[in-house]
Amino acid sequence: MNQVKPPKFPLKLLKSFCKPEYHSDIEGDLLEFYARRVKKIGPQKARWLLLKDVLLLFRPGMIRSFKPLQFLNHLTMLKHYIKLSFRGFRRHQSTFFINLLGLSTGLACTFLIYLWVADELSIDKFHENDARLYQVMGNYQQADGINTWNGTSAKLAEALEEEIPEIELAVGATDPDWQMTFNLSVEEGKFKSVGKFVDEDYFKLFSYDLLLGDEDQLFSGKTSIVISENLALNLFQTTENILGETVEWQLQQAKLVATITGVFKAPPYNSTDQFDLVLPFELYQQVYGNDWQNPNSVTYVLLEKGVDAVSVNDKLENILQSKTSDPGPNLFLKPYSENYLFGKYENGVQAGGRVEYVRLFSLIALFILGIACINFMNLSTAKSSRRMKEVGVKKTVGAGRSSLITQYLSESVLMALLSLGLGIAFVLFLLPSFNDITGKEINLQFGPKLILVGLGLAIFTGLAAGSYPALYLSGFQPAMVLKGKLKGSMGEIWIRKGLVVFQFSLSIILIVGVMVLFKQMEFIQNKNLGYDKDNIVLFQNEGKVAEDLETFLAEVKNIPGVLNASSVTNDLFSPPGIGDFQFEGRRIEQADFGRFAVNYDFIETLGLELKEGRGFSRDFAETNEIVLNESAVKVMGISGPIGKKAKLWGTDMTIVGVVQDFHFRSLHENVGPMFFHLSSYSNNIVVRINAGREKETLASLDQYYKQFNPGYVFDYKFLDEDYQALYLSEKRVAILSRYFAGVAIIISCLGLFGLATFTAERRRKEIGIRKILGSSVFLIIKMLSSEFTKMVVLAIFLALPISYLLASKWLSGFAYHITLQWWIFAGAGIIALILTWLTIGHQTLKTARINPVRFLRDE
Amino acid sequence: MKNLKLGEFEEIVILTVGILHGNAYGVTIKDEIEKRLDRQVSVGALQITLRRLEKKGYLSSAHGETAPTRGGRPKLFFTITAYGKKAVEYTRQKRNELWDALPPIVLDL
Repeated sequence: MNQVKPPKFPLKLLKSFCKPEYHSDIEGDLLEFYARRVKKIGPQKARWLLLKDVLLLFRPGMIRSFKPLQFLNHLTMLKHYIKLSFRGFRRHQSTFFINLLGLSTGLACTFLIYLWVADELSIDKFHENDARLYQVMGNYQQADGINTWNGTSAKLAEALEEEIPEIELAVGATDPDWQMTFNLSVEEGKFKSVGKFVDEDYFKLFSYDLLLGDEDQLFSGKTSIVISENLALNLFQTTENILGETVEWQLQQAKLVATITGVFKAPPYNSTDQFDLVLPFELYQQVYGNDWQNPNSVTYVLLEKGVDAVSVNDKLENILQSKTSDPGPNLFLKPYSENYLFGKYENGVQAGGRVEYVRLFSLIALFILGIACINFMNLSTAKSSRRMKEVGVKKTVGAGRSSLITQYLSESVLMALLSLGLGIAFVLFLLPSFNDITGKEINLQFGPKLILVGLGLAIFTGLAAGSYPALYLSGFQPAMVLKGKLKGSMGEIWIRKGLVVFQFSLSIILIVGVMVLFKQMEFIQNKNLGYDKDNIVLFQNEGKVAEDLETFLAEVKNIPGVLNASSVTNDLFSPPGIGDFQFEGRRIEQADFGRFAVNYDFIETLGLELKEGRGFSRDFAETNEIVLNESAVKVMGISGPIGKKAKLWGTDMTIVGVVQDFHFRSLHENVGPMFFHLSSYSNNIVVRINAGREKETLASLDQYYKQFNPGYVFDYKFLDEDYQALYLSEKRVAILSRYFAGVAIIISCLGLFGLATFTAERRRKEIGIRKILGSSVFLIIKMLSSEFTKMVVLAIFLALPISYLLASKWLSGFAYHITLQWWIFAGAGIIALILTWLTIGHQTLKTARINPVRFLRDE
Repeated sequence: MKNLKLGEFEEIVILTVGILHGNAYGVTIKDEIEKRLDRQVSVGALQITLRRLEKKGYLSSAHGETAPTRGGRPKLFFTITAYGKKAVEYTRQKRNELWDALPPIVLDL
């Protein structure tokens, strides 16, 4: 009889749903029909008819019951697996703790980065109208390309609202980046607070909660003021019944008594715009002008629902052209909440911004988690010989591969869940310092979202980390493993070795990075700026002090402990440009030329060294004098500069002195040319106090200040704080890199440990034979550790050139930096080697000291 | 005697099992019904009915020999139980009663 093989699929299908007790004879019947049909109508049709028959068998009486039986079984098995896992953990405690440490470190890192990324992404997104909220940006054509910023004319908002129907609301305001600091006074006292000027509809556009006051009547008069809840508490100790109270505010020379017309809830922490008071925009326009050519404001826009921002951009263009003949900026709309992450423009084109960090850190998180998972795999497979017999026996007794896979996966998921617990403990522990480093205020709030993310992360990690061991272990041939044979392919070993080399290269790069950063920061701290930056106190020149500066300075000098005092207009580490400065008929237009507008005694207070001539002195009635630094003399090409004349803003100035070069910008830049000139107006008072008596001197300064300037707070800072602020981002990188280096080292060592264990187990018999043939413990240690030493040496050779390149690239951002010395690299290499030996030491020693009989007898 | 009711197809299946006397299993039952009644029977419908009748106690089954065309699977032979016989009897009797009650004039039409 011509037998045609029946198709497999329909029969499999039947088996999958048919009640097992009915299955065998029905299948027999079907096959009989099939065989008959093949003869009668051919195999093609017979096959279709078979499938049809099977499908028609799919009916309630035939289908087996799946759930109750299976579910019970699964639950029991799961219990069994969990019990086995815990027994395993208890039995192999060191492995358990190593895995726990590795995975929880990885999870904690990932979790921290997740929190940070989620926080970054949430910034400015809390406004109800977020999707329709835009900021007007301008592309300004300038000599060195297109400059993109948010400055617009103060008149723009009103024109937009009137002339473009797609715009529901438009609001003008002052740039929040200015951080205008207002002096406030009420009966209870004087306060300082950050605020801005905004248009009427500001609180309709943005979702800052208005607690008191009528949204439509906030700025009905020019003398209104709207303050935050916090400020209200500061001013009045209450937020009740304060509408109508008066506050006197002062900003530079402007001063007004205003009536409180509203109280709002202070902007949440994830708002880029932080302010405690707002004043009517109308007032700002009155004082600072509202010319179409003057981009002294910012403009926010709320589009109508369903309007595309691109279509509005064209209309923006026309508006500006109809108002002014000047070639103004190209205006365009940018989603308000994108400002934060996508803030950088290059030549008018969006060029990333903070979002680059978000991407970088997300990548790092994936990377760390990946390495932690691979380590877990490494350790699990390395320990496989321990489980060989278990797998063999289970399979012999009848466990299928899938149930073994389930067992190992549930074990690794359990491991990951335990690690998550520990990881969250790490996160809670590290969060304050993490916030400190990153300058954030992240809280761990256990909401459903966070729990979901955490569990998802743990389960994913568990499955990913457990997948390879589960497949590897469950694939053992029972007969082979029960005989004690374990095959390991060369490929696997190479993967492990490669991983260790990779991890160590990374660690070495980070070790070098940490060392270089540390040395450079130390260098910055100790760098002689050309004067002693310690013990210089700065505070604002305001109130009565500003009115009678000379008297104040003269009397401050009499306070014991005060060495000298002066005042200066500009910030000490970011002087303004030179303005119109001419020498011998030619205009000096050098961008890095610094100008210091100072008072008498400034040079002496800083302690700058005069090379030639003299400083400014009250003994000479002449005020049209300037003092250059050495670089300026060189740049201007003057020989014998004293007595020569230069022109500043059209006025002849006599060069009376030359000071030695000093650092007046951050160490990222070379010392440039600069000059001092006398100025009658000053922003900051500078006082040098005696080292060693800071506390007493500051106390008497405070006392004197309050007496001289009643109502004002003596709010001082040390010059050193300004100096430190110049390197804030470097400091953050330095601290973060220390943590990353720590994590990388922990993870690398775990990887190495896994490999050491694996090798030791594989080579036990070899070592046993070697020992029998007379090898000493020392020789075996040497043999075992040389393998790892080779890998780490390879990692060192890979990592050092890379770290050298990275370090010199980073250092090249500083005009003044340490030279990269050989010992930094040698040190990193030696640290890596010592770590290696410490990590493998225990395993190696244990393996070398085995009793050969133990491993040779069972063959 | 309420529980002795049989459906139309059930009746056919029981009777066919009887006809085949000792050689009644899936394939032969299906063939027999198709031959005698000139109608298509699906394996699904037949099997479900057989199992239902067995559950009700009208049929009993026993595994028999196999054949090479059956892929090594045994045949499942069905026989009518005493209870099954009663059920067929009952159905037949009820049907006859109905026939008897029919006034002759109706059939003359």
